Amino acid sequence: MQKNRSKTIPSVMENGPEILVKNVTMQFRRAKDEASSIKEWMVRTIRRQHRYETFTALDNISFSIEKGEVVGILGTNGSGKSTLLKIISGALIPTSGRVWVDRKKVQLLTLGTGFDMELTGRENIYLNGAIIGYPKEFLDEKFDEIVRFAELEGFMEEKVRNYSSGMVSRLGFAIATIADTPEILILDEVLSVGDLFFRKKSEQRIREMIHSGSTVLMVSHSPSVIQNNCTKAIWIEKGRLMAIGDPAEICRAYEKRDRT
Amino acid sequence: MSDFSIGKQYAFVIQQLTSREIKRKYARSYLGILWSVLNPLLSMAVLSLIFSQLFRRSIENYPIYYLTGYILWQMFTGATTAAISTLVDNKPLLLKVKFPMELFVLTRAYTALVNFLYSAAAYVVMLLVFQITPKWTMLFSPVIILLLFLFSLGLSYLLAAAYVFFGDIRHLYSVFLTLWMYCSAIFYPVEQLEGVIRVIILCNPLYAYIHSLRGVVMEGVLPGGWELAQMFMWGIGMMAAGMFIFRRSKNKIIQKL
Repeated sequence: MQKNRSKTIPSVMENGPEILVKNVTMQFRRAKDEASSIKEWMVRTIRRQHRYETFTALDNISFSIEKGEVVGILGTNGSGKSTLLKIISGALIPTSGRVWVDRKKVQLLTLGTGFDMELTGRENIYLNGAIIGYPKEFLDEKFDEIVRFAELEGFMEEKVRNYSSGMVSRLGFAIATIADTPEILILDEVLSVGDLFFRKKSEQRIREMIHSGSTVLMVSHSPSVIQNNCTKAIWIEKGRLMAIGDPAEICRAYEKRDRT
Repeated sequence: MSDFSIGKQYAFVIQQLTSREIKRKYARSYLGILWSVLNPLLSMAVLSLIFSQLFRRSIENYPIYYLTGYILWQMFTGATTAAISTLVDNKPLLLKVKFPMELFVLTRAYTALVNFLYSAAAYVVMLLVFQITPKWTMLFSPVIILLLFLFSLGLSYLLAAAYVFFGDIRHLYSVFLTLWMYCSAIFYPVEQLEGVIRVIILCNPLYAYIHSLRGVVMEGVLPGGWELAQMFMWGIGMMAAGMFIFRRSKNKIIQKL
């Protein structure tokens, strides 16, 4: 596990919120027309021509999420949603501010992380499963169930290269959702997978996971998804927290803004 | 999860990633992993054909002399050249998973080690073919290989971190490797060289590993004190430097990716 300074939960917070995000700011320092070669870099260092611009992906964001809440993060592309998820899941460390969350409970659900087209379906189940964090014994045990859920019986020895894109995402979905729902589930745009029939099945599975009592954090730029599933919504725009609260209200505000 | 099960999970991830690397490498070939065995043998045959005449007087058993250097060199270059781009290649994975980035570098280096073990099988067969008598000093060879592995892994960390920032490193390194290879006395005897170039070779860490392995396998002599110190210092030193710098630039790497 990544050692992270925000891992320790102060004793005051023992019974506090499940996730507490406090004054989180994330800035990326980008060199203007970046030096991509050593030669260029040397030349610029000598001439003292390094110019940087800071890009603020998240600007002083604070909110808290209670245990059992289903929270949707809403925002247009590039508004900082994914950056926020990465900070909460621990992949990124914020420039300033802190996040309190028990990282052991967090699972980021992504589809087909690390699928390799040159490997067979079977090999990919093990590879992908290992990366997600399933032990080998667990995969041995659940193998048939995964295949059945993905409706890919008889394709397991086939290379994934020869799968249709629908088959690939079905397999990805089946692997990602086979385990018991973790205590804190983070979903990054995973609804709407595969054909119409499978979509129903996958949505049902997601709904099951969402309503199993875990804390859920999901990202979407579709207000309807959030309105239908969440108990709380957070709207982020250009790195700023625009509004937080009742999903219906926030979605209305978001859609209104969209039109202007 | 306890520390033990985390460690076990990491081992499982490395095993899976490694098997992917190997399957990928030979994905479209019929002989597959056999190439790891054939490659050094074919290379040995070619080089022996040309050079064993030339160096007949100075090298007693040219094919083995060459093969010893070649498989070690292959492991080293295999590890470092594969690891150099690992962070960039695995970028989509890296940003989403919970396990540390070090695993990706370790995987590529470990893949090279596994490849080496296959080549080593060919090597052992050749030792039998050329009737090299077994010696107790051969038992020391795993130590040499382990130290070389540490050296390669350390350098891999440095290169992988640097490559994220400068794409040129890869090209620069491949040129540098050519130079390095000629300075490692893989296919010629060192004794014929004089002056600066000889000093360079004697200071070259790769030569220390290669020369020691030749010593324990072919002549039955253990590496001398100086050589032993060189191997330990380079192996452990490079590993420490690599880990240290990699850890420190971790956050920058993620931001850059």
